[in-house]
Amino acid sequence: MAHLHDLLAYEVVEGIKGQQFTAEQYVGSIIKRIEDVDSKLRSFITVDSEGALSSAKIIDRKIKEKEDIGSLAGVTIGIKDNISTKGIRTTCASKILEDYVPSYDATVIRKLKENGAIILGKLNLDEFGMGSTTEYSSFHSTHNPWNLDYVPGGSSGGSGAAVAAGECTVSLGSDTGGSIRCPASFCSVVGVKPTYGRVSRYGLISYANSLEQIGPICRSVKDAVMIMNVISGKDIMDNTSIQSTPIAIQRKLGKLNIAIIKELIDGSDHDVTTTVYSASEKFKDVGHSCEEVSIKNLDYALPSYYTLASAEASSNLARYDNIRYGFDFPIEEYKWDTYFSNVRKNFGQEVKRRILIGSYVLSSGYYSKYYLKARMLRSLLKLELLKLFNKYDLLIGPTMPILPFKIGEKIDDPFKMYLVDINTVLANLAGIPAISIPVGFSNDLPIGLQIMAAPFQEQKLIDASLALEDTIDIQRRPNSI
Amino acid sequence: MISIEELKYLAEISKINLTDDEINRFPPQLNKTIEYIDVLEDLASDESISLDLHEINFDELRDDVAKKSDGLPIIKNLTEEGFLRGPKMK
Amino acid sequence: MNLVMIGLEIHAQITALKSKLFCSCYGNYRDLKPNTNICEVCIGLPGTLPIINKKAIEYATMTSVALGCKVPDKIMFYRKNYFYPDLPKNFQITQYNVYGFSSIGADGLFELDDSKKIKITRVQLEEDPGRIAYSEEGMNVRNSALVDYNRAGAALIEIVTEPDFNDPKEVRLFLNKLSLTLEHIGVCDTLLEGAVRCDVNVSMKGGNKVEIKNINSFKEVEKAINYEVTRQTSMYNRNLKIEYETRHWDDRKKITFKARSKEEEHDYRYFPEPDIPVIVLGNNFVSTLKGYMPELPNERFIRYVSNYKLTEHTSNILINDKKLADFFESCVKIYFSPVEIANVLITDLKSFIDNDSESTDYLSNMRVKPEHIAELVKLIEGNKISRITAKDILIKIAESGISPSQVLNSTNSFKIVDEKTLKDAIDTVFDTETSAVNDARNNPEAINYLLGKVMKFTKGRADPKIAASLINIKLRKSEY
Repeated sequence: MAHLHDLLAYEVVEGIKGQQFTAEQYVGSIIKRIEDVDSKLRSFITVDSEGALSSAKIIDRKIKEKEDIGSLAGVTIGIKDNISTKGIRTTCASKILEDYVPSYDATVIRKLKENGAIILGKLNLDEFGMGSTTEYSSFHSTHNPWNLDYVPGGSSGGSGAAVAAGECTVSLGSDTGGSIRCPASFCSVVGVKPTYGRVSRYGLISYANSLEQIGPICRSVKDAVMIMNVISGKDIMDNTSIQSTPIAIQRKLGKLNIAIIKELIDGSDHDVTTTVYSASEKFKDVGHSCEEVSIKNLDYALPSYYTLASAEASSNLARYDNIRYGFDFPIEEYKWDTYFSNVRKNFGQEVKRRILIGSYVLSSGYYSKYYLKARMLRSLLKLELLKLFNKYDLLIGPTMPILPFKIGEKIDDPFKMYLVDINTVLANLAGIPAISIPVGFSNDLPIGLQIMAAPFQEQKLIDASLALEDTIDIQRRPNSI
Repeated sequence: MISIEELKYLAEISKINLTDDEINRFPPQLNKTIEYIDVLEDLASDESISLDLHEINFDELRDDVAKKSDGLPIIKNLTEEGFLRGPKMK
Repeated sequence: MNLVMIGLEIHAQITALKSKLFCSCYGNYRDLKPNTNICEVCIGLPGTLPIINKKAIEYATMTSVALGCKVPDKIMFYRKNYFYPDLPKNFQITQYNVYGFSSIGADGLFELDDSKKIKITRVQLEEDPGRIAYSEEGMNVRNSALVDYNRAGAALIEIVTEPDFNDPKEVRLFLNKLSLTLEHIGVCDTLLEGAVRCDVNVSMKGGNKVEIKNINSFKEVEKAINYEVTRQTSMYNRNLKIEYETRHWDDRKKITFKARSKEEEHDYRYFPEPDIPVIVLGNNFVSTLKGYMPELPNERFIRYVSNYKLTEHTSNILINDKKLADFFESCVKIYFSPVEIANVLITDLKSFIDNDSESTDYLSNMRVKPEHIAELVKLIEGNKISRITAKDILIKIAESGISPSQVLNSTNSFKIVDEKTLKDAIDTVFDTETSAVNDARNNPEAINYLLGKVMKFTKGRADPKIAASLINIKLRKSEY
């Protein structure tokens, strides 16, 4: 029998409801799993075993007393450490928020708790979400469970690694330019970036607020659907959130018209493209159509993304001056402006770089040259994609243009690191939903397929993903760990 | 392109105290990115493209109702009277 | 002096709101213990988002309309980025028209008087920062600043004018009229402490603009401008160039002084606020609003003069005191006699109120109610009491809160029309005022003196007309 920590979310819920095991047993096994492997993986920043066990006991009591326990009862969730959890330290992997304990829960956390999910702890990320490997975390790097010398992806690297290694049932990440899909791809798990506005951002510590969404990272598509249906929904605390309809698990599909994005294939490594092509063949095998398309404005996507993301970041991170909350840094000896500057010296290198670029592109004289042009490109790109979605149901391509690489390999060249996002930023710029599902390996390193759909068409994404999952059985849990 | 002088200006308006090492190391790194985003200039400025902006109707907005918050957000460094003690102004 | 150009930038709090602009904390932060009127959102805790207040947009639109501005179908918010300890997010959410007209109002016109209109550049909605208190008893403030965020996030309306003013007196007039307008449309109670602030820019003879900030009340504005005009004139006369700069008004020394130049070099890096979508007002928004918006002062003035037939003078007095004008309307609703009611309010009521506190709320604290005034006026017009009696009754009502008829019954104050009683009173007066009686036989004017004595004797109750004719008869005939 599989270990308890290998169970998928829906299996956990069934098991606890069916009294095959208690929530306390299950959570106990998860905590033991973390103790066994996290010293090697380093997925977590904070583990709240006490809180998790007491939540588990409450569920067990409710079952005894035949009370309602919720659709996610007993499911343990690791939360990316840029999402506010009341009473649990939330650091964004930054020294600047080392001692910050929020006084409120993000809306997604409240919803998960209301449905019986158990918040396990906070997962590692690149500082403030800026990066693709967790190497920019100011605490430690996370290691890929498939090969500990390799990066797990980022910025939600802790979320990807923890799920792949069975350190939690599911996890939450956030995706600004690919930060859910990249670790999902590198760790051979499923990651979903919802349509912009589908999931409330209240409680998500902003990096680039017009681009980002919170989403699930799981070992199966069905788990992802369970989480999505709980966390989605219009929220009064987020003026950009929009109501959506729940996603159904359905297996009888009509014919889907699928298109592969030529430029994304051309720009990818050979091993990656081969695996992705064979996955697309599987779609054809089950009766869907698949042809190549070109996206005219693709070359401008990454420049536009970095312009907009840096601009927004430079403003979103301005509030970190340490006078209201943050970390230990005495105010004596400083005048207010030098205090601010010396506090903010403690941002990591990458964060500093992005803030500086952001201030640059927004400064008078450059605003029209960079920021306005980037906005324009964004509109053009969205229009182009929506036009394609009139003809096609789904757009696919490799999630990442390369295989996972070794820790330390790209860290000295920040620019090389940026290019890694090239496939994923499209969905953020256009605000469309995207999923990464595992489709194979090369040199024992995971490869993911990215599927994108029109706004609020998550149902189609899920339909296709389930179809693929049924056809190719890709391993979601490394044997080595 | 960003010169060292311009970098110092940007650091000042972003309130980040850069080390000497960073002042030397950052310009080439940043300039690589700037060069990359310069491609945006090729895009012809087209007034007719309405920027992709999300909209919300007036009726969907919050009503003017006041309520005391459940618990006060924790802020550090409060004096006895309740003021936040910050670094001196002059 | 006629080549002076002055422009204004006014910030008025929307004191009428119950909550702040972007969260549900109380809009009125005055008298609260520091840092108790805050929440995650207005403190800018990581992960929080602004939730805009619908009513604030309505009030800002009313202000735009009152200032003759165009209101767009869609409005947007922008971030103004700068660092300061009183700004929790180190940016202010505001509005900005440089990249396209999207603020709540622009291109307006406000009538100053019959000959002059002031162009209004724009009206915008924005949030107030917190407050930095420098001094605090018992604290060594040289080592720290003390910050209170109770006010952070309160809603502000910013009004910017073209430099159309040529004289500080015009500015004073404008600010008075603006205050009145804001009060009448119910947006801002300008007498509340800190509710309105005004920055000024002054240039002379086509020279550079000098901005003057830190003027803390409308009263100080005229003084600041006068000082600055004098300063610039003197420099001009000495052939000294006036630089483009920002100066601060020192209200103790009554001078303007140059602000440290660092403050001028702000690149605010404006960009659209990503957390607030474009707000679609729709093309019926303004017309619907005009339907239920409170009357503007000049509209009300016209109505008083043409519908109520009040004199312009009387109408002005009422308009300039909105609470009194509202009280007046309540009285008129009960008993339609606007001229007499206005009379009683302005001549009698207002006179003894003005002796008391400066409280703007004197009317609500007062026991005199519109029903009382209506009843009083009915009695006067029914000739049951004299106008002098009416004033006394008013005083009694203000003390006791009982109705006019109750007062009358208890004090027996009805007008004396009964000839016998009047004759008795007149006889008494004639007996005591023998020399005046002799004068009156020869000098008709002296009759007024006798009448006055009779009114005094009867405690104002004698019907003057009847008494006067009886006095005349007695004078001529030595008997009635």
